[in-house]
Amino acid sequence: MTEAVFRETTAEPRTQSVPLAHLSLELGHFYMEDFEAGPDHLRRHLARVRPWAEAARAAAADRAGSTRPRISTCFLIDDYFTRFSSPAELVPLLLAEADRAGLSVDYLARESGCAVTGKVPVAEAVAGRIVEEPPPGSYGHRPPAAQTGWLANGVRSPTARAPQAMRKAAAWQPPTETAARRHSVFLDVELWNDTPDGQRVWSCPFLAAVWQLARLGLLRHQGDAVLDPHPHTDAAFPDDWDELPALIRLNPRAAPFAAYRTCSVLPNRFLPVEHAVRVILDQTDVDPEALRQVAERSAREGVPVPASVADRISYLFYEGS
Amino acid sequence: MLVFAASDKGGTGRSVTSANLAYQRALTGDHVAYVDFDFGSPTAAAVFDVPSAMRGTEEQGLHSYLEGEVTEPVGIDIWRQTEHPVLRARQNQSGRLVLYPGDAGGGEFATGEDALERCIDLFLRLHGEFDLVVVDLSAGRSYAVDLVLAATAHPRMRNVPYRWLVFHRWTHQHVIAAAGLVHKENGIVRSGVDRGHDEQTLQGNIRFVRAAVPDPESPLWSQVSHAQEAWMQACNKALRRLAADQRIGDSVVLGTVPLEPILQWREQLITEDDVLSTQIANKETLEALEEIARRLTDDSHWGRP
Amino acid sequence: MRPEETVPRAVLACGEVRTCLLPAGQALDSRAAAQLLRLRADERVLVSERPNLYGRSPDVLTGVDCPLPSSNGARVRAVGTVAARAALTEGRVLQTSAYFRVPATGPDHRRPWGHYLVRPAVVEPFGRLPRDAVAEGFLGGGRHGDLDVGLIAAGLQTRLLRHPLLDQRPPLRSRPTRLRWVAVPAPDGEGPSLERFTLAEAELRTVRLRVPEGTGSAEVAGLCDDLALHDWLLTTLVRILDGIRLGPGEPAPRRRPAAADDLPVVVGALRPAVDHLLHLWMPRARVSRELAPLWDVLEDEPGFTRQWLALVQRVRDQLTLHAIPPARREVEPTP
Repeated sequence: MTEAVFRETTAEPRTQSVPLAHLSLELGHFYMEDFEAGPDHLRRHLARVRPWAEAARAAAADRAGSTRPRISTCFLIDDYFTRFSSPAELVPLLLAEADRAGLSVDYLARESGCAVTGKVPVAEAVAGRIVEEPPPGSYGHRPPAAQTGWLANGVRSPTARAPQAMRKAAAWQPPTETAARRHSVFLDVELWNDTPDGQRVWSCPFLAAVWQLARLGLLRHQGDAVLDPHPHTDAAFPDDWDELPALIRLNPRAAPFAAYRTCSVLPNRFLPVEHAVRVILDQTDVDPEALRQVAERSAREGVPVPASVADRISYLFYEGS
Repeated sequence: MLVFAASDKGGTGRSVTSANLAYQRALTGDHVAYVDFDFGSPTAAAVFDVPSAMRGTEEQGLHSYLEGEVTEPVGIDIWRQTEHPVLRARQNQSGRLVLYPGDAGGGEFATGEDALERCIDLFLRLHGEFDLVVVDLSAGRSYAVDLVLAATAHPRMRNVPYRWLVFHRWTHQHVIAAAGLVHKENGIVRSGVDRGHDEQTLQGNIRFVRAAVPDPESPLWSQVSHAQEAWMQACNKALRRLAADQRIGDSVVLGTVPLEPILQWREQLITEDDVLSTQIANKETLEALEEIARRLTDDSHWGRP
Repeated sequence: MRPEETVPRAVLACGEVRTCLLPAGQALDSRAAAQLLRLRADERVLVSERPNLYGRSPDVLTGVDCPLPSSNGARVRAVGTVAARAALTEGRVLQTSAYFRVPATGPDHRRPWGHYLVRPAVVEPFGRLPRDAVAEGFLGGGRHGDLDVGLIAAGLQTRLLRHPLLDQRPPLRSRPTRLRWVAVPAPDGEGPSLERFTLAEAELRTVRLRVPEGTGSAEVAGLCDDLALHDWLLTTLVRILDGIRLGPGEPAPRRRPAAADDLPVVVGALRPAVDHLLHLWMPRARVSRELAPLWDVLEDEPGFTRQWLALVQRVRDQLTLHAIPPARREVEPTP
């Protein structure tokens, strides 16, 4: 379009950019049960994470070539599904154990922040960006199998719906994965469910997908960055989880929170969750301007990102739970 | 306005009479939609004489629409697509008359939440396009009746006026059946209240149409004996008493359609031509249809000042 | 703007617009319009107040994998995404528009979904695209199972019409319309041209365009939205005037007599047009500068604005005549 003389600011979109590291390294994703299991459980986890974390750093350095890689570490605490104790008690414990294992936690995040941050409905926004992968034969009609709150990587088995009177019910058919190679690995992911009082509860895999997008610097709300790290200035941590910012920077000299790539070191019980994350990200239409910014800067730095968002994510799964 | 045509039993002339009402209203200049919700026996196309327009609509009618197979049900413009010679010569200044047929070969089906939402979408769309929407419902306590009761109770429909016509023949069994359909267990009123309707309001929006009523004064019966005539009069009186007892008495009757020989032979629209030139239909029948059509929107017949 | 440079050059753009009256007693103000059009929680609704009140939703994508329609029976499978968006003009006329563009060739197998997701509103053919056959086939409507973007526009329309903001009290009876369009590249060095504008059926219009290379499909969709809006306004006003009896005439025997204390029938029928439609005429209000000249063709023949002004004048004349008490009238109002 040619330059117009008359402009209205509400009529023009713009997108804020965010600082980016090379790698965002996740050292753990702890549920309240994990904390309940006591400091020993935390200590064992961090001890197992350490060698893998070092391997991930080495791989990132390799990719960065001659430049010193910018790597930030983060730790995610689930305060969304259950709550236990208080930040004042748990956070110092976590930091002490990490220190003891020779790891430093640069950023600490609360899982609730992936659902809603301040007034920004982060999860709802990501859900609104899902574009279902069309199975062959999708010609514009809403797929009859589409179910609210679920996302699959293929075509579901037809449901046994009561047929019209005096018509035959269809025979059973297997589900199929759309991108299958010969055989299907069909996965159907619950994204959310609604409680009887109308409250929407986001599923763990869905929030994990939001978490990955946040770490990749790809979340925007009306053009503004979402989940800005909050510097930690007080010596103490609050007594209530709600008073803890959704994302805090514990290390003032840390590399940026968001990065071109992410790596998460997790026990292998997270395997199905992370498969679901991939299914979700593969079908998410990420903010195109944010994508463009990241692609441009990574290319300029000589570490171009893969086009597919899901391919920017890696995992190291260790045995155990 | 939506008008639902219901009946407890088959053979009451519900479809053919409601089609005639739609036709009469279109003649007066209203835009009218006729929606065939007789899911078990979708045959409205025959009444409007549009057999060839139905070809190729097997999978695009109301069954397919409500089951989510198509996003819009097919609509047939009667004036343009009918094979009836009189209807084709659409009278100047008449309104649109559009038939929304069921799938040819479609059957009764269980309706779910999605079908309800789509049904509401359809009613609201037609409400925006037409002055009058006549919905012909499967006989008895059917899924169709259930569906439209749920639809009209829905908050999205709160500003759409609707009325019910319950058709029945003028016999002992039909009177009891019609009253049962409205007032008894699992009837329209009870089911409606279960779905969120206000009992008074719903009740106030139901009127009865007595169809195929033999008029003892009619020349049809001029040959009957005295004894036969006396018997007929007595029957008529007893039926009126029964109807009143069953709460479907004269005060809630919107109109009476006389027994019409040509309708006994063939379900069709009765045109002025049938009465005036070919004289195959009775003037009284046409007048009754015109009158009921007029009363559909005349509030004084619906208990409103 | 979406990044279009990563995508191979498009040789065909297609779309369909659905236009209808918003079923609400009062037109929506700009805040309510923004609420209605908020299809995504994270993207701002474009709201503009000059030269008229207008809101437009962000684009939403729908994945497709099916044959393209064609006029010669060729069944070319294509995969990609169709973009759809909704627009509301003066809080009164709702339009949903779905469109896509097609490159001349594409890979002969389906790629991972991520490949298509980063190419919004692009549908890639398997192999070579038989462009002219597909363009004709698209305007003609295609067979069951061929790509039908009208369904996508209709789906979005249905979704918006279910919004709780709407009280479902339309101020006048009206019919929705559909406008299907295709755009193919103009010869080198030539400007855009409108090759054909057809009133195909009662509710369907088709438009065939040539646009200079590099014209974004969103811009072409914007032009077609504007054409569809004004065609709908004309159609609706023509039907309102068509349906009423003007002047005394002979009282039709079958016609229901109007109640004595009612407004004259003519006034009752025309008043909503004055309240809700007459101020909406503003061709080219949101058309890019390059494409705006295409309107001139329609202004010359058949003369959209000329017809509109004549209809508006008729409406005003009728209302003026009926404003005079009958006793004072020397002549009865006639058309």
